[in-house]
Amino acid sequence: MTDAVPSLPPEIAAMDLADASVALSIDASTYGLEALYAASYAFLDRAYVLLERPSPERYRVILAPKKRDAGELRDQLTRLAGELANELLASAYRQRLHAENRALIESVTMRAVAGALGPNVEAPPSLEDLEAFDFSAEAFEDPLGIAMSWEEKYGKKTPPKAGEDPPAKAGETNEDAG
Amino acid sequence: MRELRLHRELYRGEAVDAAAKVYAPYASIELIDDPTHWIVRVTSSTPAREVRVARELANHALGTSIRDRG
Repeated sequence: MTDAVPSLPPEIAAMDLADASVALSIDASTYGLEALYAASYAFLDRAYVLLERPSPERYRVILAPKKRDAGELRDQLTRLAGELANELLASAYRQRLHAENRALIESVTMRAVAGALGPNVEAPPSLEDLEAFDFSAEAFEDPLGIAMSWEEKYGKKTPPKAGEDPPAKAGETNEDAG
Repeated sequence: MRELRLHRELYRGEAVDAAAKVYAPYASIELIDDPTHWIVRVTSSTPAREVRVARELANHALGTSIRDRG
């Protein structure tokens, strides 16, 4: 003997007070299997969950609370059915958002990983390239002294001997100092 | 005796086997192959105990099926 669940259509939900359980019939085209699994999993700690497949178009979820509340069983089953319906809707929506954003998430992740690898990672030079390379070229210019070591730039200088001009600071010529 | 009919599309066979092993100390459990379902027959000392073991077994099988679905 089953009773209707208040606030839910009788063709969707029914409670069995003798068995202390409530059953929901779910449209498989609206709520996919992943959403059904996710919603069911959320109830495993507080209810016994049984899934059925009465037809290819529908799933059936039977919930029985593990512990009885102090109040009426009917109220507890009604609450359980409502919470499952809410959880199903939330799970289905999360699945949809995930599917819609999957390409975007993959694209952003790929760019982040590619960026971490550094700009345009090229193949190492071949022996012919190394052979043709001009190693006699002068070092690059460093007018600001960026490539100088700290000791070269700021270290103690040997005192100038009598009659010598003091050494010029970085970026400064002896003519500027004078 | 309490009979559980777990649909093959929803429950993994390995999960049902594992759940049956977990609850074997608490009741006599018989597994039967069916083209569309895993049928589990639970027999114990009292009907209430059979219901309890059957429900716990179904929960265990469902949890494992969801966790291991890949």
